[in-house]
Amino acid sequence: MLSRVVFVSANAVKSSGSVGAGLVQLSHLHTSPNSQAPVPPLPEKGGKTRHGFIPEELFQLLYPKTGVTGPYMLGTGLLTYLLSKEIYIVNHETVAAACMGAIIIYGVKKFGPDVGAFADKLNEEKVQKAAEVKTLAMASLAQAIEDEKKEQWRIDGRQMLFDAKRNNVAMLLETNRRERVHMVNNEVKKRLDYQIALQTLHRRLEQEHMVNWVEKNVVSSITPQQEKASIAKCITDLKSLAKIQQAKATV
Amino acid sequence: MTLSFFDQFMSPTLFSIPLMALALTLPWILYPPPSAQWINNRMITLQAWFINRFTQQLLLPLNIGGHKWAALMASLMIFLISLNLLGLLPYTFTPTTQLSLNMSLAVPLWLGTVLIGMQNQPTIALGHLLPEGTPAPLIPVLIIIETISLFIRPLALGVRLTANLTAGHLLIQLIATAAFVLMPLMPTVAIITTIILFLLTLLEIAVAMIQAYVFVLLLSLYLQENI
Repeated sequence: MLSRVVFVSANAVKSSGSVGAGLVQLSHLHTSPNSQAPVPPLPEKGGKTRHGFIPEELFQLLYPKTGVTGPYMLGTGLLTYLLSKEIYIVNHETVAAACMGAIIIYGVKKFGPDVGAFADKLNEEKVQKAAEVKTLAMASLAQAIEDEKKEQWRIDGRQMLFDAKRNNVAMLLETNRRERVHMVNNEVKKRLDYQIALQTLHRRLEQEHMVNWVEKNVVSSITPQQEKASIAKCITDLKSLAKIQQAKATV
Repeated sequence: MTLSFFDQFMSPTLFSIPLMALALTLPWILYPPPSAQWINNRMITLQAWFINRFTQQLLLPLNIGGHKWAALMASLMIFLISLNLLGLLPYTFTPTTQLSLNMSLAVPLWLGTVLIGMQNQPTIALGHLLPEGTPAPLIPVLIIIETISLFIRPLALGVRLTANLTAGHLLIQLIATAAFVLMPLMPTVAIITTIILFLLTLLEIAVAMIQAYVFVLLLSLYLQENI
């Protein structure tokens, strides 16, 4: 695990300037031909560790020669060697280190997963915001496609609209024409009626005039003698009628 | 392999080459810089979140002029907290136990705040020497007292950090020695002493973080008065 720290820090230092110049000359040691190729994707999680601080690679390295217990034997042997040769001396610092180690291990075991989940949540929120932008954009584009299709359908219906309008206009024109024909008819009839009325009036006036003339002439042609004769006739007729009537009344 | 209890506070040297620079700059490797990736790994995410959150909290009461100090205060906080916490591990040297380091951090920063105040708003800066609402007869005495308190600030800042850390480290050493020596003699008492040591270590972790925070917080307070 610490080797990784060294690598990361070495990269950081290499890119940071004055010390970096001295390290650049080492880059020609990367002799693979595709060193300028696109970088392979970086791993998402850190290296696997056994018991929290021993890299898994050590176990993989020793497995062919010493099997599963190899690294553990190495660790135990190393520890025993350091203690027995008093390269590592047990003194009060060991006690203090034991306390500190206990606290650190307890803290990591208890709060480690929560802290990791929190970090993951922070990253998740970031990804989600971007994904939201993407889904919103996709939704708005799909909506735009729908709207476009609707507009095209509307345009197809435009022909029908034009036909209906044309029909309307034709009907209006026809109605107008018929109205005017009707009007013409009425006017002509009025003129003709006037002429007829005029002629009728003429005839009536002639007729009345004629009757008046005939009457006048007749009345003026009655002599006083004829008048007396007609009155005497009327009297005799009346007397005879009265006698007849009397005769009927007594019977 | 310390011979006395105070060897841990000696500036480290290797064959007379002073290693102080190494002790001050090695914590830098623990903080990987944010990479060019959009989504980073957990450590960088947490680091970025912590620094952002801390700076936002610290700069809340400051006006725009004080925001220029954001980088300085955030880096000071990270520096102090990592030096303090790393010093709790055995056989490590804690640079913040050296009065020289703490004074060289406190005096220039405090002096900077005072000079900024005197330059930009001298009346207000001098007005801080007299709290509001003091009764008239007390004014002369209070001005002297406030001036002394002003000049004691850098001393207090430096010595507070030094004393807390030094005392804590010494206590850990002493109680650990007591536990270690008592273990073959009186195991029960040794166990009690170890429990005390356990609690003390917990306290020291807390103190390490709190002292770093208090240093930076007080500095931001002095800045707030003067900017």
